[in-house]
Amino acid sequence: MDISKECKEAIISGNKSQAEELAKRAVKEGLDVDQIIDAFSEAIREMGDLFEEGEVFLPELMRSAEAMKTAMNILTPLLSEGKTDHILGRVVIGTIEGDIHDIGKTLVAAILSAEGFEVYDLGADVPVNDFIEKALEVDAHLICISALLTTTMIGQKKLIEELKERNIRNRFKVLLGGAPVTKQWVQDIGADGTAENAVSATKLAKKLLGH
Amino acid sequence: MGKVGILEKIKKRIVVLDGAMGSMLIDQGLPAGIPPEYWNISKPEKVQKVHIDYFDAGSDVVLTNTFGGSRLKLTAHKHGSSVEEYNKKAVELAKEICPDDCYVAGDIGPSGAFLPPVGTITIEEFKENYLEQTKILDEADVDFFFIETMVDIKEAEAAVKAAKKVSNKPVFASITYQKTKRGYFTIMGDSVEQCVEILQKAGADVIGANCTIGSDEMIDLVPQLKKVSKVPICAKPNAGRPQLIDGKTVYPTSPNDFVQDILQMVEKQINVIGGCCGSNPAHIRKIAQLIKR
Repeated sequence: MDISKECKEAIISGNKSQAEELAKRAVKEGLDVDQIIDAFSEAIREMGDLFEEGEVFLPELMRSAEAMKTAMNILTPLLSEGKTDHILGRVVIGTIEGDIHDIGKTLVAAILSAEGFEVYDLGADVPVNDFIEKALEVDAHLICISALLTTTMIGQKKLIEELKERNIRNRFKVLLGGAPVTKQWVQDIGADGTAENAVSATKLAKKLLGH
Repeated sequence: MGKVGILEKIKKRIVVLDGAMGSMLIDQGLPAGIPPEYWNISKPEKVQKVHIDYFDAGSDVVLTNTFGGSRLKLTAHKHGSSVEEYNKKAVELAKEICPDDCYVAGDIGPSGAFLPPVGTITIEEFKENYLEQTKILDEADVDFFFIETMVDIKEAEAAVKAAKKVSNKPVFASITYQKTKRGYFTIMGDSVEQCVEILQKAGADVIGANCTIGSDEMIDLVPQLKKVSKVPICAKPNAGRPQLIDGKTVYPTSPNDFVQDILQMVEKQINVIGGCCGSNPAHIRKIAQLIKR
């Protein structure tokens, strides 16, 4: 079996040690790292599609994301030597203050990170100010803010307003997450987008950052 | 009081539960980030009013305002030191106004924590969490336990076992399913058959489904539960999926549409019926009229 196939298989079966081994092998044997990453990415997208179809579920998807993250941790530093901009972008992510639901957000963070974003996960119940401070500190490209309750969605609006207030709205793209979030809400508050699930969120994040 | 036990009652006719508590309290101004259980102490009259409205509407049972009252959940809200206080008071509030022939069920929701690979909690921690809450509810003298909205069957199993360990009162166990192209599954991937089997083995006296899916989508779930369950079954659908319209949360399913769906569940031999998020006394009144006519 060629290594691309093996990489795909490692991610789809959520086999962390196999993914790690393959990444190390690729480095040792001086293989085309881009090709390896492409294989990993293809596999995680396939898992995302299967998740959407109800063919696989949360534990499988999390295992795949973790396996991919392990491999990417080995491959990414190597890439930055040659191509300094290979990290797809820096993301600050969290669930808004007053809301302790963090499963959706954690999944998005896992897939973003698996795909090669540098992810700063602030957890749940995060004040608006903490999002902004962290985004400034790490010079983030993207802020992802999750709200699972209609009562806490207002925090997403607060974030956008606060960014405008500080004249830094244009420095970050802002993505909204959470079951009650609609495209209309994104438009109403002037955010940059929302997605149905973690995989489409990652696609959108890439698109917004021009990848 | 001399009322029959809830399981006896179910043998006689369909039992009507209550509707939502959380979304009712939010409508009355419960701020984001404050656990609804805090109102058992700070605004007891509002919590009690919700119970009164449900009994008036025809509920045979109300669920105590303790859905998020376990230590793990309250700790996430930084109210972890009030577990006993909130749970005890919740039972008192419901029992004070419970009609003689009606019931108070101790409500138990998920901890919000997940087993690996999603989270880092252990089964042992789940057990401790539910042993504590069920013991408090039992001592406060609920009539039975209502474990609901569980998305992980392993957590549900731990909760049922805990309740069975501390008390010999009946235990209802209700799972949250999602409708996929391949049928109904929990987000963890457990099928209806798997969940029912595990819950039955753990000793659940009534098994069912609640939350996430609306009444229309829950109809087809009823025969599937019925097919595999040796015990009575219950359903608590949402009143649709919440939408934010002009800054207000709206659940789109009207009481009339809701009860039409419930009617179909009755035809498919549901034993216990109520409402979850977004349902209110108007929805329950319609159900009670249907069942008790």
